[in-house]
Amino acid sequence: MAVLGILIDATLITLVMALAASGLAVVFGLIGVINMGHGAMLTLGAYLTWAATGAGIPFVPAVLLAALGVGFIGLLLEHFLIRYFYDRPFETLLLTWGFFLVSTEVIKIIFGPDFRSVASPLPGTIEAFGQSIPAYRATVAGLSLVVLTTIGLVYKKTSFGLRVRALVQNREVASLMGQDVSMLYKQVFVAGAFLSGLAGALIAPMLSIDPYIGNVYLVRSFFVVTLGGLGLLVEGTIVGSIVIAGSETFFSLVTGQVFAQSIVFVFAVVLLRFFPRGILASRN
Amino acid sequence: MAFHILARFDGEAKFAVVVFVLLALIPAALGGYTTYILPQYMCFGILAMSLALLWGYTGILSFGQAGFFAIGGYLMGLVLSGAIPFGGFVVALLLAAGLGYVVAALLGYFLFSAGVRDAYFVIVTLALSIIVEQLAVSQSQLTGGWNGMFVMRPEVDLVVAKVNLYGDLPAFYTVLAIVALVYVLLHVYTRSRHGKILVGIRENEARLTSLGVNTAWKKTLAFALSGAVAAFGGALYAMHSGFVSPSLGGVLFSTEVVVWVAIAGRTSLLGALLGGIAVSWLSSIISAWTPAYWQLFVGLIFIVTIVFFRDGVAGAIAQISRKRRSKT
Amino acid sequence: MTKISDSTGIGRRGFLKGGTALGAAALVSPWLANSAKAADAIRVGVISPLTGAWTVYGQAHMAGFELAVDEINAAGGIDGRPMEIVVADSKTEPRIVVEQANRLLRQDRVDFLAGTFSSAERNAAGPVVAQANKLMFYPTFYEGQSQEFHPGVCNKNMFMIGPEPSQQVWPHVEYMVKNYGKKFFLIGSDYAWPRETNKMFKEKFAEYDGEVVGEVYIPFNTPEYKSVLRDIRNSGADVVFHSLTGSDTVNFRRQFHAAGMNKDIVIWTVDDEEVVTSGLGPEASAGTYVSFDYFMSINTDNNKVFLDKLFKKFGNDTLMNTVGVGMYNSAHLLAQAISAAGSTDTDKVRDAVRGSSFDMAPQGSITVQAADHQAILPSYLMKVREDWTSVNDMFEQIQFQDKVTPAPARCDLPL
Repeated sequence: MAVLGILIDATLITLVMALAASGLAVVFGLIGVINMGHGAMLTLGAYLTWAATGAGIPFVPAVLLAALGVGFIGLLLEHFLIRYFYDRPFETLLLTWGFFLVSTEVIKIIFGPDFRSVASPLPGTIEAFGQSIPAYRATVAGLSLVVLTTIGLVYKKTSFGLRVRALVQNREVASLMGQDVSMLYKQVFVAGAFLSGLAGALIAPMLSIDPYIGNVYLVRSFFVVTLGGLGLLVEGTIVGSIVIAGSETFFSLVTGQVFAQSIVFVFAVVLLRFFPRGILASRN
Repeated sequence: MAFHILARFDGEAKFAVVVFVLLALIPAALGGYTTYILPQYMCFGILAMSLALLWGYTGILSFGQAGFFAIGGYLMGLVLSGAIPFGGFVVALLLAAGLGYVVAALLGYFLFSAGVRDAYFVIVTLALSIIVEQLAVSQSQLTGGWNGMFVMRPEVDLVVAKVNLYGDLPAFYTVLAIVALVYVLLHVYTRSRHGKILVGIRENEARLTSLGVNTAWKKTLAFALSGAVAAFGGALYAMHSGFVSPSLGGVLFSTEVVVWVAIAGRTSLLGALLGGIAVSWLSSIISAWTPAYWQLFVGLIFIVTIVFFRDGVAGAIAQISRKRRSKT
Repeated sequence: MTKISDSTGIGRRGFLKGGTALGAAALVSPWLANSAKAADAIRVGVISPLTGAWTVYGQAHMAGFELAVDEINAAGGIDGRPMEIVVADSKTEPRIVVEQANRLLRQDRVDFLAGTFSSAERNAAGPVVAQANKLMFYPTFYEGQSQEFHPGVCNKNMFMIGPEPSQQVWPHVEYMVKNYGKKFFLIGSDYAWPRETNKMFKEKFAEYDGEVVGEVYIPFNTPEYKSVLRDIRNSGADVVFHSLTGSDTVNFRRQFHAAGMNKDIVIWTVDDEEVVTSGLGPEASAGTYVSFDYFMSINTDNNKVFLDKLFKKFGNDTLMNTVGVGMYNSAHLLAQAISAAGSTDTDKVRDAVRGSSFDMAPQGSITVQAADHQAILPSYLMKVREDWTSVNDMFEQIQFQDKVTPAPARCDLPL
């Protein structure tokens, strides 16, 4: 019984983690942008949701608005900065870090430093398998699956996805074949920003919102994406999330919360060292 | 003989002499509080130099330098409080450098030998500063946890004389002398054969490897050296500020150092040193009354620097002086 | 009158001219600060968490002190000398507290210090005030004094104006055990205050045959509590004794509520006052027990007067809490003592503070003990109402004990 409870917890955490990492999986995994502002995008998604619900907009439209808002911010960022640096990964790393610094301060100035909260749209629990499962968290986990599936379908089955895949395989060939490469990059980056914002918006009701809320997911997301394997959008993100989130759950059982966080990172670093192209990719 | 040595020094070195002389005059010019606080910023300058060595010279970016700084700081605290039952101030400084060296070497080799590099390395160092901070908090019997560790200023027996570092003036000049020494040593190192190899790694690692240079090993050495310098700086800081806390090793501080060095000029040791001193000093003053706007301003300058002034303020100055020289 | 330590935008120009120029520009500021000093004013340095993790507490913290200083100055100051505040932001970081405390004392030459918020911040300021021989007033509920943590506590230059566990917790242990059961689960943030508080809690708890079924300490900025919640459920606890702070308390309590655990287990918190509870909202906070020496809704004459003045100055939506009131009381105690001593000399003022009382304290007259510098305070146990709408109907008073004398401090007494 206790084991079942643990498994359910681990599954929920893993899926939420996967959702949080999905934006980075798209942006880093597909077009190689080391988005150090990923956490900031999550934070922005949360704050925009708070602002929207505060203005009386119901939860679901608020979330969508927030995600679109972050997507738009991503568009601005891409258009004015990032697109000049696609071939210089260090610069994008630093620039997106600069974006994090700036957006965090802007958030503090506009929203103030106090904690904010978004009321949970689905309070209460679901009784299943003899466990009390928080309803909202379970819904977000379900949505995570939906999002990941959608990403997978778009990537594998649509013509847009085909063009992106061509781009990922070989940028020069794609451009030679007449693809508007810079437009594709733009679209992918904005999609990634949208996803990060969406994740932040959905996670908002579960946490107290402060300007650094997204950063908890920053390093973890990087590990999720790199351990899963760059470019393996769905499988990689899920596997990476199982490794990171699952191991944290496991470690916290054994060593308690305090050490679990540190141990997970040590574990992740060690894994990265031995599977530098990801756990799945290394099988090939 | 002295003239001979001086003649060998380039423009930067001459500027450095001026800088250190000016710093030495500060207590007389500016009095109490500045004399008290400036040495701490000089220690941050050492931290910045360690990053310049790693990033500016070798091309390896680390978001975890503060971790070594904290390690050095805690070590100094433990030695001076007697928890480590041997040695004094000077021994602690050397031990700190040694510990920083060893930890960085082990870590560096573990990662570089598998080819972990560039962005991956950055993320790993980011994770490391989180780990160091959490370790510092959780090992509270050793480190004092969130309460931090108090460090009493020591009396140093230098055989020739005993210096009581409790007073602001002796502390100021001791730190200044040590910082100057570190700068000189690093300056000489970067101009040595070893130092030039580091630059080679930054410019074209593949080429070096094809020439038979074991770049993983060299990178490990660079990382180890920067770890040693950072830890040394931290130990010195701990002695002077009297207080070490986990945030000294954490992510926010580590990333702050990157911002200082990026703006000041990563390829210049002196630039990094001055950048570290200046930005942290300004921060502490200006953020007293407008913290968010100041940080915003710094963030924007950071972005501008990355886009337009890759070599930072120091690089811009060097460019201007080069242009001027070529005009005459 | 508040003056913030000054320096104009010299820095921006300096930036482009290289390091030394920067340094020189910044160095002008101490000169500016000193020459702008108002003649004759008694300067008090206030260290407040204006930015950083605990900013949410910083506003009430500052507001309480400012209100008091306004009152003091409106009544003619301290024997004719106005009181002046010099603000320093602690960024909720002990390292910055050391720096700012030194700056206030050495550069701004303040006569006294007040504030810091967390125990870690206070412990950082301890050695500074000890070495400089200046007095500091600390307003926050804290873990009590034990010589082990000297000079953060047991410091003859510090006055503790907030409650410690024998005042905040002990009076209510019996009620909680009798009404809810003997199994308590302790959860707190991972630093001195929760750990020491739990230690003291357990002493009293043993008297009622209480059983501690779990004790966990959570590192800061932990967003996920699933495993902890599971442990709590499995432990069979009746009550969760809670001393988490910052955003962790909000995350924990929301997830506790989302997991439906508030139906079976009650939370007794010694951290979540008006500001945090407001942030949580009525659903997540209903039914929780909270204990402090002050709440906005307490029914004393002094409090009515105090809140009136507070709203007039800061607006009707202002939130106040035990810490803000601690600062308010500190300012008045200090002013009284300076007046009684006829001087700002540290030793004279210290003697004047010892044993003094402030009768207009919002929670009723408070007295500072001479031997251990701890204030004698009332202790309220409140329960958060269902569907509260504002601070006015947030808390329901369950019981209260007036003038609780603290347990003897474990210091080398007298200080």
